[in-house]
Amino acid sequence: MFFKKQQSLAPDRIKKETTDDKELIPVSKDEFISIMKQRLQDGADFKTKELANGFTLVFLDTLTDKKMLNKDILARLGGISATPDEALKSITVSSTSKQKYIEDGVDAILKGAVLVHSAGYPVIISAVVATQENRSLTKPETESQVMGPQIAFNESLATNISLLRRFLTNANLCNESFTVGKQTNSAVALLYLKDIADEEMVDRMRERIQGIEIDSVMDSSNLSQLIEDNSMGIFPQMLLTERPDRACSWLLNGKLVVLVDGSVQVIGAPQSFMEFFESMEDQNVRWQIATFLRLLRMFSMVVSVFFTPIYVAALTFHYEIIPQTLLVPLGESRSRVPFPPIIEALLLETMIELLREAAARLPTKVGQTMGIVGGIVVGTAAVDAGFTSNILIIIINVSALSSFTSPNYMMGNVIRILRFPLIILAGFWGFYGLMFGFCFLLIHLIRQSSLGSPFLAPFYPPRFADWRDSIIRLPIGWTNYRPAQTRPLDRKKYRARKTKQ
Amino acid sequence: MKVLIEPKPQNMINTILLMFVIHSMQVGVGIQGFQRIIYMEAKQDAWISVILSGIAAALVGFIMVKTLHSYKNSDLYGIQYDVFGKWLGNLLNILFVCYFLAAFHMVARNYIEVIQAWIFPEVPSWLFFFSLLSLVYYGLNGGLRTIVGVSFFSVVLALWLILLMAFPFQFANWDYLLPVFEASIPEILMGAKQMTFTVVGFEIIYVLYPFLKEKDQVHKYMQFGLGFTTILYLAIMVISIAYFSGDQLERTIWGTLSLFKIVRFPFIERFEYVAISFWMLLILPNLMLYLWAATRGLSRIFNKKEQKVSWKLLVFLFLTLLYPLNRIQINMLDDYFAKGALFLIFGYPFLLFIAVVMKKKFFSKKGGSANVPKNK
Repeated sequence: MFFKKQQSLAPDRIKKETTDDKELIPVSKDEFISIMKQRLQDGADFKTKELANGFTLVFLDTLTDKKMLNKDILARLGGISATPDEALKSITVSSTSKQKYIEDGVDAILKGAVLVHSAGYPVIISAVVATQENRSLTKPETESQVMGPQIAFNESLATNISLLRRFLTNANLCNESFTVGKQTNSAVALLYLKDIADEEMVDRMRERIQGIEIDSVMDSSNLSQLIEDNSMGIFPQMLLTERPDRACSWLLNGKLVVLVDGSVQVIGAPQSFMEFFESMEDQNVRWQIATFLRLLRMFSMVVSVFFTPIYVAALTFHYEIIPQTLLVPLGESRSRVPFPPIIEALLLETMIELLREAAARLPTKVGQTMGIVGGIVVGTAAVDAGFTSNILIIIINVSALSSFTSPNYMMGNVIRILRFPLIILAGFWGFYGLMFGFCFLLIHLIRQSSLGSPFLAPFYPPRFADWRDSIIRLPIGWTNYRPAQTRPLDRKKYRARKTKQ
Repeated sequence: MKVLIEPKPQNMINTILLMFVIHSMQVGVGIQGFQRIIYMEAKQDAWISVILSGIAAALVGFIMVKTLHSYKNSDLYGIQYDVFGKWLGNLLNILFVCYFLAAFHMVARNYIEVIQAWIFPEVPSWLFFFSLLSLVYYGLNGGLRTIVGVSFFSVVLALWLILLMAFPFQFANWDYLLPVFEASIPEILMGAKQMTFTVVGFEIIYVLYPFLKEKDQVHKYMQFGLGFTTILYLAIMVISIAYFSGDQLERTIWGTLSLFKIVRFPFIERFEYVAISFWMLLILPNLMLYLWAATRGLSRIFNKKEQKVSWKLLVFLFLTLLYPLNRIQINMLDDYFAKGALFLIFGYPFLLFIAVVMKKKFFSKKGGSANVPKNK
């Protein structure tokens, strides 16, 4: 019984199942205070305030807003008779409720409520006067773009939902709330548009969130690993975004969006492989440019993953395929290198990865210095020392550059590590090994699913109508159908003709 | 054994994909070097043999689908069981399982032979077989949708290879095609017969049929797939005859691969290295679907779970592949296999069709119908 099933269930179900185990609120004031004190481990911030007319206020100092506490609760409770009903009438806080059990009281107090106990009654009033310690809304950083709204989610669940509601003023936007994490009790919200999102998918998502048995969920990226289809896979099967406009466009396409309290990124599902190469900006620029950018990103992924392995394979086994004019400079630059191509490539790739990781951990100012140092050390000194060839440096740099073009940070990471096994395969078996790796990746991708829908859609299974807005983007008037991948209840977004007027 | 099959909805595939499955099954190792054997029979009229073999395949494909249509949702194994009874039916089922396994064996062996002849003469073959079979196992574990997905991508991602035929096209000498109809009809027919090994593969419809969603479109997409293959073979045959001289073609074992030799870009030449490696993607659907068909057969005959059968078959196939054979022996094996395939794929379907029709009549006299056979 290390993990109780009840911990992860929805709050309403908890009430139903565990009512019998709960402890009733004691009538006596002193007993109530001592029980609460004991429940909260006699914390230093645990405060009680006894009023002359028989009310007792219990709260956590660190979680409550002093101003509200004084103005809306303490000032109001002064002159009235000490009954819960009177207190409920007088308190001018919007979210108040009556509690019968100690456990509910403890939950409320942990969320920033003040508990008002009236001597002689087994009922307490809880009024939420929590402080809102929030970062203000900032620009998106990992998904920054030139055009489009410049606002990102922040760490507060309520703020994030309000952002979404503001973008999407629609009564059909459903918001379901869950509690995940045995220790952290993190709030998780599931959002979707009724009449568009597929009910079966919503059920599946709900089941997955409720079925999690874990002690803590610190971030949405954390949660997405728990609820995705295949956690052994290389590719993430659910997308994360920090842009409210992107999350809204997902919702409008019939996707489900999951928000976690305390995390700046929201999860979107189901998702297809192609969406790794789509950016919100594609909708904001003209369609020819968007199509070009998407093709470019796709191409750069292929280059980034396969360029170095092809070099290794060709130079290790298949000299014949390199034309003579190219072979001369290649041989010249490799003449001083003492290593076989595979060692050479792995060495340089590792160096690039080191640089990248170091730059990511350092403050921005030092990071720039890192770039210069790294560039000089890797670029010039390594060649001068005869460690690597010039051409390999170009190749590695191009593939490193290409891996940054993915609009999705997680995909960039995947591309980053995919290179290593492929280089090793190419170094061992040449093109055969490379093709082995390619076929493995292909089968792997075909096998994946996102919330039960195929990962490689709209390519496989082929849904040609959806190609209009996947690898290419056609004019907005033509992309008037929602992708079949989300199995939307309402396929049609708008009538094609009407958009033109 | 149940005659009728009710596949789970998540295993069903769109009928349009049948086109890709059929094409990818036909294109495999045969295409790498079919020109020589046809040319030796029919000389410069070899392309007529290719057309004839295409017509024959279309006819047989039509009969196969017709046979399957007469049942509601059954495959070859169920139909043979229903028509020929328990013993003879299962014997024929086992024969077909053996055929599928043999086809798997031939495809894998021929491909690895090409790899060893062209790229890596010294790498031990067990390494190649092991890597190939592990890929097959990984794909097979993903279920039918994954397998069909691989065959879909193997067709789509290999389309660019066809464009490379433009390179030998420049050097074609069209006089080599003349005079037309010099070969006698028996010679042309012999050439068509030699196409067997290259053309077979579409028999997978016998096993795949119950998993197709739209049954009324099966005929259409079956013929599309077969037609596309025939056009491709015809194009390659014509280019080969025009590009190679007669003597040269008779000495070229892998004609198609030799065509890639002159492909040349500013940054890459000797393209056959890339093409041969890329061929793995064209081989995989063959291997996967043949093994899947054999697995389905055994699991239906003996009522075992597919997952339990497939890896045992893979181990068995791996062991058979380890037995070393030289070029001549492989050629002999190819010939034997082609002879068997000629009977099983181009002869037997007609017999089966007649048997099914007879049974239908026989049953309708008694008041029943083969359309709705009882589940046994």
